[in-house]
Amino acid sequence: MKTRFLALAGGLMAATALASVPAKADVKIGLIGGVSGPIAAMAPAMIDASQLAVQQVNEQGGIGDGEKLVAVVGDSACNPQNGTDAATKAVNIEGVAGIVGPHCSGAVLAAAGSVTIPAGIVMITPSGTSPEITSLEDKGTVFRTVPSDDYQGRALARTMKDMGYEKVAVAYLNNDYGTGLANAFKAEFVDELKGEITQFAAHEDAKASYRSNLAELAKGGADTLVIFDYGDGSGLTMLRQALENGFFEKFVGGDGMKSEAIISELGAENLGSFVSSSPVGAKSKSLDVFNEAFKGIGGDPDAIFATTSYDAAFLMALALEKAGGKKEGVAAAMLEVSNGEGEPILPGEWKKAKELIAAGSAIDYKGAAGDHNFDANGDVPGTYALWEVGSDGFELVTEMK
Amino acid sequence: MDFLELLNFYVIPGIVIGSIYALGAVGITLIFAILRYAHLAHGDLATLGAFVALAVVSGLGVSPLAALPVAIVATAAVAVGIDKVFYEHLRERPKIVTVMASLGIALMIRSVVQVFWGVDTQTYVRGIVRPEDYFGLRIRDREIYTVLAMLLLVGALQVFLTRSKWGKAMRAMSDNPNLALLSGIDNKKVVVLTWVIAGGLCAAAGFFLGLNTELKSLMGWSMLLPVFAAAILGGVGRVEGAVLGGLIVGVAEELSVLWIPSEYKAGMAFVILLFMLLVRPTGLLRGKVL
Repeated sequence: MKTRFLALAGGLMAATALASVPAKADVKIGLIGGVSGPIAAMAPAMIDASQLAVQQVNEQGGIGDGEKLVAVVGDSACNPQNGTDAATKAVNIEGVAGIVGPHCSGAVLAAAGSVTIPAGIVMITPSGTSPEITSLEDKGTVFRTVPSDDYQGRALARTMKDMGYEKVAVAYLNNDYGTGLANAFKAEFVDELKGEITQFAAHEDAKASYRSNLAELAKGGADTLVIFDYGDGSGLTMLRQALENGFFEKFVGGDGMKSEAIISELGAENLGSFVSSSPVGAKSKSLDVFNEAFKGIGGDPDAIFATTSYDAAFLMALALEKAGGKKEGVAAAMLEVSNGEGEPILPGEWKKAKELIAAGSAIDYKGAAGDHNFDANGDVPGTYALWEVGSDGFELVTEMK
Repeated sequence: MDFLELLNFYVIPGIVIGSIYALGAVGITLIFAILRYAHLAHGDLATLGAFVALAVVSGLGVSPLAALPVAIVATAAVAVGIDKVFYEHLRERPKIVTVMASLGIALMIRSVVQVFWGVDTQTYVRGIVRPEDYFGLRIRDREIYTVLAMLLLVGALQVFLTRSKWGKAMRAMSDNPNLALLSGIDNKKVVVLTWVIAGGLCAAAGFFLGLNTELKSLMGWSMLLPVFAAAILGGVGRVEGAVLGGLIVGVAEELSVLWIPSEYKAGMAFVILLFMLLVRPTGLLRGKVL
């Protein structure tokens, strides 16, 4: 992880170095992610995957007349304030033509509302999963390559019910991500499936002790705790204290909890009763192509949100190419490059896409994480899987419907 | 809910967290008493101390407690260095300038921690430690160490302040810097001594926070508000007040979950801070400064 961080820092410096002497024709995009903060363990792979797309674009002819695509990395720290700061800097100082990111729902909502929507800049997030993003008044400028948590919460509820979980307590982080996911889960688990939620409580990030919260959660007599939080932040603290004090026997997490930090800090031997869901790319040729390419630069294709991050950056590049490198037409172009009609484009096929766009033919990007045929809200449907902790990291338990 | 449960899951965690707050609050109160400004970099200085200890633990393979003295000495040195390089030049300017400068220092320290140790969450000892059972009370060793170390450090400080020559000099300077200077007290040395003590306590606070939970680059910053609340609650300038304040804030945060929705737990420190400032700004033990 340290080397990856160094690589990231190096990349950051390289990006700034490039940015400080911009060749006039460079096209910049903002790559805003939760480099520090509660998803810090996930962010490096996500940024690397996005950078891979940028690298492929530049190797195969760049944007327009061979102009370089330059990714400017910014840190949203997974919170609304820093997300807004990073987006402001990207838009006003760097003059980016589009933004890939931010990674966390709260940062997406804040940055979109106060920066990119007023500026007319297109934003495409690889991991902002809150259902709130669907209903954002965004004039068609906010997209995502990851499905809304409305799907994930419901899919997780159905899968858990099928696996025999009946009585659970739910703890969720008090932000846009945690609240959205928890409410979707509750709606399906209680209202549709007649399961029982004994306690349903939010908690704040970054407290040192959650034992009193856990004691409250344990009061209803549930043996399973469902945590919608980040595995690098308070989710880890909470899981640790729940395990140490034996408040619950079984633990279920959302995608935010599928973090390597949990395994490295708590130890796989203690996590036998922990499962977590996450979006996965449906098996496809695109996914294989991406996996090969990502392994080629030393990345782990199973890293959470690697596929969606790659797709987000590649889609942004395609839309920019289609719009002639200008930010104005990107929103409309985004819908055109991936609407299910036209010549299929797989990950990495930049040259082919470029020629087709130049010839004026329709193209359809088939992404590593899915086909990404955006609906009117800029959302995509998705597939999920449930993971458990094995001796070798996260291992697949079952696909989720 | 029975009494043991109340103790185990609300009061004991509250006391442990309160001890950590107390270690931080003593430093805050000392700096306020002698230098007369709120030091906002205190939390991040604690983070630095915690990570220095981590470096010692992972570098030398010693037990975390053995790394604590190293962290205390190193952080104390850093605190003195920061004062020499930054705050000393602002001594004659209005105090608010120094307060703002300390905010900048906080960001700098955090960035240094992130560059050196990365942004991932880390721990001193991998895995989990289940608590021991003492007559129904569930306590982990590290929690006993935390409370004991706090009492020991603060006790030693109290003896130092009341009995030793330099401790008396510190109190004299707190009461009236000019008079202290006239009676032959070297103010500069007192300032250095203050930073040594505050820095060392900071490192201890960060270390125990890391030992009881995890190490994150933002861990100290998020502790800053409860620590300030503790210092003001106890009475700014009173060491024993800071300890009392820390314990009360810690226990109040944990107990608050019984009555208010848990997402407002973090607001408890705010509530205490506001209430004290409105009702009794001098603090419970009647602080000497505010």
